[in-house]
Amino acid sequence: MAIQYKGLTAALIDIVAVEEAEGLLQWLLTNPDGAVDLSGCKHLHAAVLQVLMAGQPKVNAWPEDEGLAVWLKEAIKTR
Amino acid sequence: MSKKRVLVIDDSATVRMYHRSVLEAAGYEVSEAINGIEALEKALAVQEPFDLYIVDINMPKMDGYSFLRQLRQQPIPQVPAIVVSTESKTHDKAQAYEAGANFYLVKPIRPDDLVAYVCLLIGQGGHQ
Amino acid sequence: MNPLFSQFLLEGRELLQTISEKLLALEKEPESQELITELFRAVHTLKGTSGLFEIPEMTNVLHSSEDLMDAVRDGRLAYSQELADRLLDAMDFVSLLFDILETGEGPDPNQIELAKELSSSLRDLIPVTDLQSGETDSQGEARDIKLPALSDLPEDVRLRALSEAGTGGVNLIVYSPDEGCFFKGEDPFYQALNIPGLLWGRVVPRTTWPPLSDLDCYRCMIDFQALSKAPRGEVLEYFRYVPNEVAIMTLSPTAQSSTADRQDERPTYATKDTGFQRDKAYETIAVQAEVLNQPEDVAYLSGRLQSVAKALSNCLSALGQDPEGLNEALAQALQGQSSQPLRDWLSAYCEQRGIELKPAKTTAPEPVLAPPTSTDTTQAPADRRPETPTTKVLKVDQAKVDRLMNLIGELVVAKNALPYLASRAENQYGVRELSREIKAQYAVINRIADEMQDAIMQVRMMPVSLVFQRFQRLVRDLSRKLNKDVELIIEGEETEADKNIIEALADPLIHIIRNSLDHGLEDRQQRQEAGKSPTGRLMISARQESDHLVIEVSDDGKGIDPAVIKQKAYERGLLTEERIDKISDREALNLIFAPGFSTAEAVTDLSGRGVGMDVVRSTIDRLGGTVHIHSEVNRGTRIRLTLPLSMAVSNVMIIESDHQIFGVPMELVVETVRVPRRAIHSIKKRQTTVMRGRVVPLIALNTLLDIPAAPIANDEDELATLVVRIGNEPVGILVDNFRETVDVILKPMPGDLGRLSFYAGTALLGDGSVLMVLNLKELFRWQFNTKD
Repeated sequence: MAIQYKGLTAALIDIVAVEEAEGLLQWLLTNPDGAVDLSGCKHLHAAVLQVLMAGQPKVNAWPEDEGLAVWLKEAIKTR
Repeated sequence: MSKKRVLVIDDSATVRMYHRSVLEAAGYEVSEAINGIEALEKALAVQEPFDLYIVDINMPKMDGYSFLRQLRQQPIPQVPAIVVSTESKTHDKAQAYEAGANFYLVKPIRPDDLVAYVCLLIGQGGHQ
Repeated sequence: MNPLFSQFLLEGRELLQTISEKLLALEKEPESQELITELFRAVHTLKGTSGLFEIPEMTNVLHSSEDLMDAVRDGRLAYSQELADRLLDAMDFVSLLFDILETGEGPDPNQIELAKELSSSLRDLIPVTDLQSGETDSQGEARDIKLPALSDLPEDVRLRALSEAGTGGVNLIVYSPDEGCFFKGEDPFYQALNIPGLLWGRVVPRTTWPPLSDLDCYRCMIDFQALSKAPRGEVLEYFRYVPNEVAIMTLSPTAQSSTADRQDERPTYATKDTGFQRDKAYETIAVQAEVLNQPEDVAYLSGRLQSVAKALSNCLSALGQDPEGLNEALAQALQGQSSQPLRDWLSAYCEQRGIELKPAKTTAPEPVLAPPTSTDTTQAPADRRPETPTTKVLKVDQAKVDRLMNLIGELVVAKNALPYLASRAENQYGVRELSREIKAQYAVINRIADEMQDAIMQVRMMPVSLVFQRFQRLVRDLSRKLNKDVELIIEGEETEADKNIIEALADPLIHIIRNSLDHGLEDRQQRQEAGKSPTGRLMISARQESDHLVIEVSDDGKGIDPAVIKQKAYERGLLTEERIDKISDREALNLIFAPGFSTAEAVTDLSGRGVGMDVVRSTIDRLGGTVHIHSEVNRGTRIRLTLPLSMAVSNVMIIESDHQIFGVPMELVVETVRVPRRAIHSIKKRQTTVMRGRVVPLIALNTLLDIPAAPIANDEDELATLVVRIGNEPVGILVDNFRETVDVILKPMPGDLGRLSFYAGTALLGDGSVLMVLNLKELFRWQFNTKD
């Protein structure tokens, strides 16, 4: 499971593939106040990235990989 | 101090000539081999061992991977080898490292890059 | 031209030859994995080497060819006729580029266009799953991708861009993926993260976002902006599958000057700043960590471990650091046959020294050399050749061999002065002794000169395969075009002859082959109707007969009907009505060599174009050879070319006529006789005599040359008659006197005189005078064509 949904937190783990985009989108629609945990994320597919950009959810934790984090921080401006 | 010796292994005479010109200008002594078999012969035959190998992958008779695997089993001082290839895929690199390469450069190589890595792997500043 | 580039041209041409040979071989054995692999390797090597020079057109076309071959090799694509055709086209183009580059020019816009077309036509064949666009190296054409203004970038990025631009150039990239790209299995984010030389990047929405409920998450709506220090070419290369989705701006206010500077610099490590040194060293160390992570169950693990330890210790010493504890770790690793001790040592060492092991980056591929015309200080000197120890063949510039040959030629001529000197010593100064000594010395020099001549001839000898090798392709292409099935058989490819002869043979042979395919061999249906096997046979053979090279081109086609030839010749005014019935079938066949004759019923673009077999004959004549034709209706045609093995030094006989001297090539001379005037008969206006029971026509050289003087007889009223063979018939030429035969170097007539086909050329004689050597065949043809 590349995304674990627990209550109001969605944890993106390891490599998050394109198929996860739809589920994440639905989850964000039903949980407008949901937050994401990216700490375990090593890479996410552009489609998933796009959902996060459009949804702009709260980010609990950024990826450990500094390179990836820089991109995501720029893309997902925490509200 | 005697010059450091590099064996360039490539089936293309142009590439060999290119490496030779760059490395000689940087003060190295360069020998050439046109495939793995010849390279192995040279590596085993010389009195004074080479200090570095520059190895092409795609060669007739014996390719770079086989050469490295053979080389690493020989009872001679094991010195670094740089693989030069036109492939930049991760898989190709891993295969080179698996075979016993110590560095991987993608062709074509800029002269100063080539010299820089050769210097590092030979362990000196390049000036003789 | 710098030596590296010459080497490239030399090797490149060889590779091209290999490629077309393999392609043609594949046609017969399309399943041969071995051939496919060899072909791939040749294309691959050529592409790799071309990348050393700035010839993007060539590299692009080769790159596409390589990708195509890669698909064939992987079994994603089956070998097909069309594939071979396109690859052959591509190789023709590369060959053309070689020719252009050799002149020191660069490709013109047409060729750049052509390169694009070829690339995309090659890529069109690659299954769609691999690629989504056929274009290479063209960006922003299909869609208008806007580059952000520098001022739109964050302040720190902008400053970074400008400072990088100052040191080596930096590229601002916008990557705007196709909306449907997710369905093609692409991950643009991954693509963006791995842009070579990436300095900075960000992702931006293409438009403002719709409400989340309206979002189509599988339609790509994001763009990527990035800054890369990799050269523009590399960035383009990286995006070569999606060139229409990328826009690149290169910022390099001072970058242009750096190429030259870099070459002047001794490209040594020590000249670089420490940052450069450290980065590369860390990268190298990181690679060793990667090597240590490779599977350990290999027989050569010890060697690998040792090499890693050596690389690490060298690399750290280069940084001025002491790799303490490394030897112990290596000993442990070797003992336990495990990489672990070295891995542990490395991570502990790095942690202790604060070395951060970044993942290794691929170093930038880019054209690294200035274009071929410029000189490069890092080049090896011109006289240094790379050692090629396995082969004992020395590649020598043709010009050097030619020069040597000319010098030997001059020596041969110069030595001819000695007999003159000897006779002057005897006759003019009366020193017989000296004369004899000169003659003795002459004999010695003569022998040496002969051997030298022979030796240089051997150097110049080349196998006819040089010319024959292209016939496979020619026959293949033509037979396909004509829709005929033809089997080409080549024999005696290894037969050798002088380079000049071999080279000059190409055109006449191509013409003969075209004729055979076009007019000789029938199509499948016609052949079956004639009771022949459906596939036509074309055979080209070469052999050496004494000191001649014999080449035969024969087919089992419909042959040539003498009656048809006669009729055509009559229609074209080459034959008078009264002669139609008189000429033999053999003579009729020879009419196809007459200028302006063509038996083509329809002028095709193959052998048409108004050039007929006459060109073949005149070329062969010029080479001092003969053409022989034999044909049987319904059985086929055979054309035989007989040529001298070498043409550098000619043996000519000097004759005298009307107080002038002329040379006649000895190969035409059958004999020299003195014919008593009473033995000459006049029949109508023609003179003849009988020699050994055979009537031989006679003509005075003066008549041939339009000199209004009668031949001079000797005291016994005999006329000097040079019997020559013109087109298989002996003819007697009446001259005033014979002189000696000499070896000469035949040179073409200078300037406009060269167009006078009556002369084969001029030669310098030992006494310094110039000899005009006659082209008797031309003289006779002219004589009988205009006066018949």
